[in-house]
Amino acid sequence: MKQDYFSANNIKYIDYKDVEILKRFLNPNGKIISHKRTGVTSKNQRALASAIKHARFLGLLPFVVK
Amino acid sequence: MQQEEIEDQNEAKETQNSKVYELGYLLVSTIPEEDVPVIYGNLKELISSLGGNAISDEIPKMIPLAYAMVKVVNNVRNKFNTAHFGWIKFMMDSDKVLELKKKLDLDPNIIRFLILKTVAENTIAAKRFMRTDTRNRRPRILKNEDNENVAPINKEEIDKEIDALVVS
Repeated sequence: MKQDYFSANNIKYIDYKDVEILKRFLNPNGKIISHKRTGVTSKNQRALASAIKHARFLGLLPFVVK
Repeated sequence: MQQEEIEDQNEAKETQNSKVYELGYLLVSTIPEEDVPVIYGNLKELISSLGGNAISDEIPKMIPLAYAMVKVVNNVRNKFNTAHFGWIKFMMDSDKVLELKKKLDLDPNIIRFLILKTVAENTIAAKRFMRTDTRNRRPRILKNEDNENVAPINKEEIDKEIDALVVS
Protein backbone atom coordinates (compact mmCIF):
# COMPACT_ATOMS: atom_id res chain seq x y z
CA MET A 1 0.00 0.00 0.00
CA LYS A 2 1.89 3.01 -1.25
CA GLN A 3 -0.99 5.47 -1.37
CA ASP A 4 -3.10 6.67 1.54
CA TYR A 5 -6.12 4.33 1.59
CA PHE A 6 -8.40 6.86 3.28
CA SER A 7 -7.71 9.75 0.90
CA ALA A 8 -7.99 7.40 -2.08
CA ASN A 9 -11.46 6.24 -0.95
CA ASN A 10 -12.55 9.68 0.24
CA ILE A 11 -12.99 8.61 3.87
CA LYS A 12 -12.86 11.75 6.01
CA TYR A 13 -13.70 10.26 9.37
CA ILE A 14 -12.27 6.91 10.44
CA ASP A 15 -15.03 5.15 12.36
CA TYR A 16 -14.30 2.54 15.02
CA LYS A 17 -17.38 0.56 13.90
CA ASP A 18 -15.97 -0.03 10.41
CA VAL A 19 -14.28 -3.25 11.47
CA GLU A 20 -13.75 -4.54 7.91
CA ILE A 21 -11.63 -1.50 7.01
CA LEU A 22 -9.74 -1.50 10.31
CA LYS A 23 -8.87 -5.20 9.91
CA ARG A 24 -6.80 -4.36 6.82
CA PHE A 25 -4.38 -2.49 9.07
CA LEU A 26 -3.77 -5.33 11.53
CA ASN A 27 -1.12 -7.99 11.17
CA PRO A 28 -1.95 -11.70 11.77
CA ASN A 29 -1.20 -11.24 15.48
CA GLY A 30 -3.67 -8.39 15.74
CA LYS A 31 -1.05 -5.67 16.04
CA ILE A 32 -1.41 -2.33 14.27
CA ILE A 33 0.72 -2.23 11.11
CA SER A 34 3.28 0.56 11.18
CA HIS A 35 2.84 3.79 9.32
CA LYS A 36 5.87 2.87 7.22
CA ARG A 37 4.12 -0.20 5.77
CA THR A 38 0.56 1.13 5.52
CA GLY A 39 1.46 4.25 3.53
CA VAL A 40 -1.27 6.17 5.36
CA THR A 41 -0.60 9.85 6.11
CA SER A 42 0.54 10.68 9.62
CA LYS A 43 -2.72 12.40 10.47
CA ASN A 44 -4.80 9.45 9.29
CA GLN A 45 -2.48 6.92 10.92
CA ARG A 46 -3.06 8.60 14.29
CA ALA A 47 -6.83 8.57 13.74
CA LEU A 48 -6.63 4.95 12.56
CA ALA A 49 -4.73 3.89 15.68
CA SER A 50 -7.35 5.54 17.92
CA ALA A 51 -10.19 3.93 15.97
CA ILE A 52 -8.59 0.47 16.31
CA LYS A 53 -8.09 1.02 20.04
CA HIS A 54 -11.72 2.06 20.49
CA ALA A 55 -12.87 -1.00 18.54
CA ARG A 56 -10.67 -3.21 20.73
CA PHE A 57 -12.17 -1.75 23.89
CA LEU A 58 -15.68 -2.63 22.72
CA GLY A 59 -14.66 -6.15 21.72
CA LEU A 60 -15.06 -5.59 17.98
CA LEU A 61 -11.36 -6.29 17.36
CA PRO A 62 -8.95 -8.46 19.35
CA PHE A 63 -6.01 -7.14 21.37
CA VAL A 64 -3.97 -10.23 20.45
CA VAL A 65 -4.50 -13.20 18.16
CA LYS A 66 -2.70 -16.27 19.43
CA MET B 1 -37.25 43.51 23.70
CA GLN B 2 -34.26 43.07 25.97
CA GLN B 3 -35.56 39.79 27.24
CA GLU B 4 -35.85 38.47 23.69
CA GLU B 5 -32.26 39.42 23.05
CA ILE B 6 -31.15 37.62 26.18
CA GLU B 7 -33.11 34.54 25.13
CA ASP B 8 -31.49 34.64 21.71
CA GLN B 9 -28.10 34.88 23.34
CA ASN B 10 -28.92 31.93 25.54
CA GLU B 11 -29.98 29.88 22.55
CA ALA B 12 -26.80 30.78 20.73
CA LYS B 13 -24.81 29.76 23.80
CA GLU B 14 -26.57 26.41 23.91
CA THR B 15 -25.81 25.64 20.30
CA GLN B 16 -22.22 26.67 20.84
CA ASN B 17 -21.83 24.38 23.81
CA SER B 18 -23.67 21.43 22.33
CA LYS B 19 -21.48 19.00 20.47
CA VAL B 20 -22.04 15.83 18.53
CA TYR B 21 -21.30 12.71 20.56
CA GLU B 22 -21.61 9.02 19.96
CA LEU B 23 -22.42 6.43 22.57
CA GLY B 24 -21.39 2.87 21.71
CA TYR B 25 -22.43 0.21 24.21
CA LEU B 26 -22.51 -3.51 24.88
CA LEU B 27 -25.56 -4.95 26.59
CA VAL B 28 -25.29 -8.20 28.53
CA SER B 29 -26.17 -11.25 26.44
CA THR B 30 -28.45 -12.66 29.17
CA ILE B 31 -31.14 -10.16 28.19
CA PRO B 32 -33.81 -11.93 26.11
CA GLU B 33 -34.07 -10.77 22.48
CA GLU B 34 -37.54 -9.23 23.01
CA ASP B 35 -36.36 -7.03 25.92
CA VAL B 36 -33.51 -5.44 23.95
CA PRO B 37 -35.73 -2.80 22.24
CA VAL B 38 -37.08 -1.79 25.66
CA ILE B 39 -33.58 -1.12 27.04
CA TYR B 40 -32.64 0.64 23.81
CA GLY B 41 -35.74 2.86 24.21
CA ASN B 42 -34.78 3.61 27.81
CA LEU B 43 -31.30 4.68 26.74
CA LYS B 44 -32.74 7.04 24.13
CA GLU B 45 -35.10 8.44 26.74
CA LEU B 46 -32.20 9.00 29.14
CA ILE B 47 -30.33 10.95 26.48
CA SER B 48 -33.33 13.09 25.61
CA SER B 49 -34.01 13.71 29.32
CA LEU B 50 -30.54 15.25 29.55
CA GLY B 51 -31.31 17.57 26.65
CA GLY B 52 -29.78 15.45 23.90
CA ASN B 53 -31.10 15.27 20.34
CA ALA B 54 -30.62 11.89 18.69
CA ILE B 55 -29.15 12.17 15.17
CA SER B 56 -28.84 8.53 14.17
CA ASP B 57 -28.69 5.17 15.88
CA GLU B 58 -28.68 1.43 15.45
CA ILE B 59 -30.74 -1.12 17.36
CA PRO B 60 -28.49 -3.40 19.45
CA LYS B 61 -27.69 -6.67 17.74
CA MET B 62 -25.96 -9.77 18.99
CA ILE B 63 -22.24 -9.97 18.14
CA PRO B 64 -19.50 -12.38 19.18
CA LEU B 65 -16.89 -10.55 21.25
CA ALA B 66 -13.24 -10.67 20.19
CA TYR B 67 -12.28 -11.63 23.75
CA ALA B 68 -14.11 -12.57 26.96
CA MET B 69 -15.26 -9.66 29.10
CA VAL B 70 -16.03 -9.73 32.80
CA LYS B 71 -18.67 -7.69 34.60
CA VAL B 72 -19.27 -7.86 38.32
CA VAL B 73 -22.95 -7.68 39.26
CA ASN B 74 -23.92 -8.11 42.94
CA ASN B 75 -20.43 -9.36 43.78
CA VAL B 76 -20.68 -12.09 41.14
CA ARG B 77 -18.21 -12.20 38.26
CA ASN B 78 -20.01 -12.77 34.98
CA LYS B 79 -18.04 -13.72 31.89
CA PHE B 80 -19.39 -12.79 28.46
CA ASN B 81 -18.35 -14.04 25.04
CA THR B 82 -21.29 -12.46 23.20
CA ALA B 83 -23.14 -9.17 23.67
CA HIS B 84 -25.71 -6.89 22.07
CA PHE B 85 -23.81 -4.04 20.41
CA GLY B 86 -25.60 -0.78 19.62
CA TRP B 87 -24.81 2.89 19.17
CA ILE B 88 -26.54 6.28 19.25
CA LYS B 89 -25.27 9.51 17.77
CA PHE B 90 -26.64 12.60 19.48
CA MET B 91 -26.13 16.29 20.12
CA MET B 92 -25.75 17.31 23.72
CA ASP B 93 -24.50 20.09 25.90
CA SER B 94 -20.91 19.37 26.88
CA ASP B 95 -21.71 19.87 30.59
CA LYS B 96 -24.39 17.18 30.53
CA VAL B 97 -22.22 14.42 29.10
CA LEU B 98 -20.49 13.76 32.40
CA GLU B 99 -23.89 13.35 33.99
CA LEU B 100 -24.82 10.85 31.29
CA LYS B 101 -21.61 8.92 31.92
CA LYS B 102 -22.31 8.73 35.66
CA LYS B 103 -25.79 7.36 35.00
CA LEU B 104 -24.55 4.77 32.50
CA ASP B 105 -21.85 3.65 34.96
CA LEU B 106 -24.60 2.46 37.30
CA ASP B 107 -26.59 0.59 34.62
CA PRO B 108 -26.44 -3.16 35.32
CA ASN B 109 -27.42 -4.03 31.72
CA ILE B 110 -24.34 -2.44 30.14
CA ILE B 111 -21.08 -4.39 30.07
CA ARG B 112 -19.09 -1.50 28.60
CA PHE B 113 -19.76 1.79 26.87
CA LEU B 114 -17.77 4.43 25.05
CA ILE B 115 -18.66 8.10 24.58
CA LEU B 116 -16.80 9.78 21.74
CA LYS B 117 -16.88 13.16 20.05
CA THR B 118 -17.78 12.68 16.41
CA VAL B 119 -19.32 14.39 13.38
CA ALA B 120 -23.01 14.55 12.47
CA GLU B 121 -22.50 13.05 8.99
CA ASN B 122 -22.69 9.33 8.34
CA THR B 123 -19.22 7.99 9.10
CA ILE B 124 -19.60 4.37 8.02
CA ALA B 125 -18.00 3.94 4.62
CA ALA B 126 -20.10 2.23 1.98
CA LYS B 127 -19.43 -1.37 1.02
CA ARG B 128 -18.08 -0.39 -2.38
CA PHE B 129 -14.74 0.39 -0.79
CA MET B 130 -14.33 -3.23 0.17
CA ARG B 131 -12.87 -4.37 -3.12
CA THR B 132 -10.01 -6.81 -3.32
CA ASP B 133 -6.59 -5.67 -4.39
CA THR B 134 -6.57 -5.79 -8.17
CA ARG B 135 -2.92 -4.90 -8.69
CA ASN B 136 -1.58 -8.41 -8.11
CA ARG B 137 -3.92 -10.05 -10.59
CA ARG B 138 -2.40 -11.26 -13.83
CA PRO B 139 -4.01 -10.22 -17.08
CA ARG B 140 -5.60 -13.30 -18.58
CA ILE B 141 -6.42 -11.90 -21.99
CA LEU B 142 -3.08 -12.95 -23.49
CA LYS B 143 -3.78 -16.62 -22.80
CA ASN B 144 -7.05 -16.48 -24.72
CA GLU B 145 -5.30 -14.94 -27.73
CA ASP B 146 -2.86 -17.85 -27.81
CA ASN B 147 -5.73 -20.30 -27.86
CA GLU B 148 -7.34 -18.56 -30.81
CA ASN B 149 -4.17 -18.98 -32.90
CA VAL B 150 -4.21 -22.78 -32.54
CA ALA B 151 -5.22 -24.44 -35.81
CA PRO B 152 -8.52 -26.32 -35.88
CA ILE B 153 -8.13 -30.07 -35.28
CA ASN B 154 -8.47 -32.27 -38.32
CA LYS B 155 -9.91 -35.62 -37.20
CA GLU B 156 -8.82 -37.62 -40.24
CA GLU B 157 -5.18 -36.59 -39.88
CA ILE B 158 -5.17 -37.55 -36.22
CA ASP B 159 -6.70 -40.95 -37.02
CA LYS B 160 -3.99 -41.56 -39.62
CA GLU B 161 -1.26 -40.62 -37.17
CA ILE B 162 -2.69 -42.91 -34.51
CA ASP B 163 -2.89 -45.79 -36.98
CA ALA B 164 0.71 -45.20 -37.97
CA LEU B 165 1.76 -45.34 -34.34
CA VAL B 166 -0.24 -48.50 -33.67
CA VAL B 167 1.21 -50.29 -36.71
CA SER B 168 4.81 -49.42 -35.79
